Amino acid sequence: MLGYGLRRLLGAVLVLWLAATLAFGAMQLTPGDPAQTLLAASGASAEEVARRRAQLGLDDPLPVQYARYLADLARGDLGVSWLHGRSVGRMILEQLPATAELALAATAFGTLLGVALGLLAALYRETWIDTLATGLAVLGLSTPVFWSGLLAILLFSLRLGWFPSAGSGDLRHLVLPAAILGFALSGSVARLVRAQVIEVLRMPFVMAALARGLPLRRILLLHVLRPAVGPAVTVVALQLGFLLSGAVVTESVFARQGLGRLAVQAILWRDLPVVRGVVLVGALAYLLTSLLADLLQAWLDPRLR
Amino acid sequence: MRRLLIFLMVAAALATGCTPRPGGHIVYGLTLAPSGIDPHINASSELGIPLTSVYDTLVYQDPKTGEFVPGLAQKWEVSEDGKVYTFYLRRGVKFHDGTPFNAEAVRFNLERITSPDLASQKARFMLGPYERTEVVDEYTVRIVLKEPFAPLLDSLSQVYLAMASPTAVQKWGSEYQLHQVGTGPFIFVEYVPGDHLLLRRNSDYAWGPPVYQHKTAQLEEVEFRFFTDPATRSPALESGEADVMGEIPPQDAARLQGSKDFRIESVAIPGVSLMLFMNTARPPLDDIRVRQALLFGTDRKAIISAVFRDTSPLACGPLTAVTFGYNPMVCEFYPYNPDQAAGLLEQAGWKDTDGDGVRDKDGQLLALDLYLMGWGYMPEVGQLVADQWSRLGVRVNSQVVSYPEALKIAQEGRHHLMPFTLSGSDPDILRKFFHSQAGFNWAKVNDPEMDGWLEEAARLSDRDQRADLYSRVQTRVMESALVIPIRDYVNLNGVNNRVQGLRFDAQGWFPWLIDVTLAR
Repeated sequence: MLGYGLRRLLGAVLVLWLAATLAFGAMQLTPGDPAQTLLAASGASAEEVARRRAQLGLDDPLPVQYARYLADLARGDLGVSWLHGRSVGRMILEQLPATAELALAATAFGTLLGVALGLLAALYRETWIDTLATGLAVLGLSTPVFWSGLLAILLFSLRLGWFPSAGSGDLRHLVLPAAILGFALSGSVARLVRAQVIEVLRMPFVMAALARGLPLRRILLLHVLRPAVGPAVTVVALQLGFLLSGAVVTESVFARQGLGRLAVQAILWRDLPVVRGVVLVGALAYLLTSLLADLLQAWLDPRLR
Repeated sequence: MRRLLIFLMVAAALATGCTPRPGGHIVYGLTLAPSGIDPHINASSELGIPLTSVYDTLVYQDPKTGEFVPGLAQKWEVSEDGKVYTFYLRRGVKFHDGTPFNAEAVRFNLERITSPDLASQKARFMLGPYERTEVVDEYTVRIVLKEPFAPLLDSLSQVYLAMASPTAVQKWGSEYQLHQVGTGPFIFVEYVPGDHLLLRRNSDYAWGPPVYQHKTAQLEEVEFRFFTDPATRSPALESGEADVMGEIPPQDAARLQGSKDFRIESVAIPGVSLMLFMNTARPPLDDIRVRQALLFGTDRKAIISAVFRDTSPLACGPLTAVTFGYNPMVCEFYPYNPDQAAGLLEQAGWKDTDGDGVRDKDGQLLALDLYLMGWGYMPEVGQLVADQWSRLGVRVNSQVVSYPEALKIAQEGRHHLMPFTLSGSDPDILRKFFHSQAGFNWAKVNDPEMDGWLEEAARLSDRDQRADLYSRVQTRVMESALVIPIRDYVNLNGVNNRVQGLRFDAQGWFPWLIDVTLAR
């Protein structure tokens, strides 16, 4: 067990280092000079731009820049944003809670909806209920968030006045964005759960349980759903990337705080310290979710323990 | 009991009153999540929308006359050689944290702005050839320049060079932008990046410039929120999430204008119009006949009506019509005339010899690379232009690129055409685009005479002489066919009708919130 924990920890450090290096390399390949981007509109002269470039350390050879970056990281220093002039760590901490809140709420909603749709579709296979549930799943999968979000605002905020269209803070603000993002997530969950449930229902132990006269609801809840939902957990965990990219759009549509908008702005302005910081936090989130997913799956399906 | 009830009702009636009195809360929608909001460091226009009311500036510019009027400086003198500006400061002004405002505070602010450590993205450059600030006595301060710089007062009238509390700046360091302290009509209460920014009325305010109509702010609070997705702005206004919203998309503006609860306040922005720069260094655009043909062959009216729903004025030249020094003569250049365009192309030797619909010469197709950025309706404009020119036999290869990429492409001269627009109230802005050494010299122009006019106009303090020089520059830009002007920038503000008295400063972007009232 200790060896497993150690292996896992080493793996995590390796993943973080790879993510940091990738973030460093990817931004080197993106065209555009950060100093020029920051100063062009001010009418700064070529010498002034060159001075700023030197100030940002961009004149140093790449290996030097890379080593300095890793050394800072090792000390836990994410640096100062070139665009904002503030500590990157602080900026990320400010935005993280809103993004985490949205991601968690959307995952919870999306998983519940997906499981419900998948279960219904499996139980009423090849009836109109199946068609409807599968149709909804496909709709969720294929509707872009910026469009469904706008429709939701028009209906629930403007027409019905049930929920605010913008901002973050209390639960009422969370409902629409979480539902929209969760709906997009539910599609893949529903399809997987449907397939799994159909498969499990064919297993002899279900037949045996039925023959013993156990009520159907009990069989479904205790014996079918648990093994069927297991793989869905992995899928949900793997959807984190989708969730974060979806969050970028959701944050923009619903005028919410969040890491997504921070990241997009940083990329557009070649604000490298912020880009690197957000990538690292994303990698960290991946590590945590995959750990969580493994633990959860082991709990759901004893065969894996 | 009944008497008490009546008393309470009367008291309530008195308290609410029938005449408007200070109070109320509005939500003001901003369109970008600002990229940092320290006016001394950051460059976005969005930061100035809230912060213009948090700070005061040494001088103010009257948007009606273009004249400079007293602000924190009661009066000022400019030395004969134009290098020394002496400001006599108003007494009794206090920052929101109680720090007194004086000459030392002015020196502190200007030194902060010009310090290389601050890495200012805009304010530093607005000071031009700044050398130093001298404190003469407690209420007299001198700004010394290395050479004359005519736009200095215009710069000093903007929030980027506003006066911040030295105490607060020193206390908060790099986190100052979350705790800003000025002397203005509103106090900076809190800023939660990405979520909201809250201002509260400064009841001690008594030193407003003559351009303000009220002595203190009429609203109790103004809350700013960020609506980055253009499609959501109008819904937020209509659902009551926001009372004022900048940059409403033209198609939504047309609809709002017809409603009884909302109105559109359209504010023309001074500066450089949205225009396509033509790279005069890259064939075939090195031939002026080809450039002129593109100008004659562009139906700008059609673009204004299709993309901007006629909400923006058509641009005639490099400066927007509301900018000081604008020369209306430029409107006589290049009226839409496809026949003349075709004639010029024929003259330049471009003919469609193989009948494929695209002109050619010496085996070369008349194909132009157009790079567009994703904002400011550039992609839409690019599409229409490409369509109009295809009828002339010109092929356009257009591509949307990011701003840093566009800068790089322009620097390397890989473009034929690339659009840009920039706001600013002083015509010195032309120097950023048409001086041979300018960073935005996307036309790749090298005209020593025009360089001379631009340099001289930046030094002269006489307004008429400056206007004359800028007139010449504008004419030369159009004669040389360096740009295809498309639209004058207009900010379409959607406003809930309960909000009254909304006015904007000379930049067109920054509201004077002190005078805003709520209708009852």
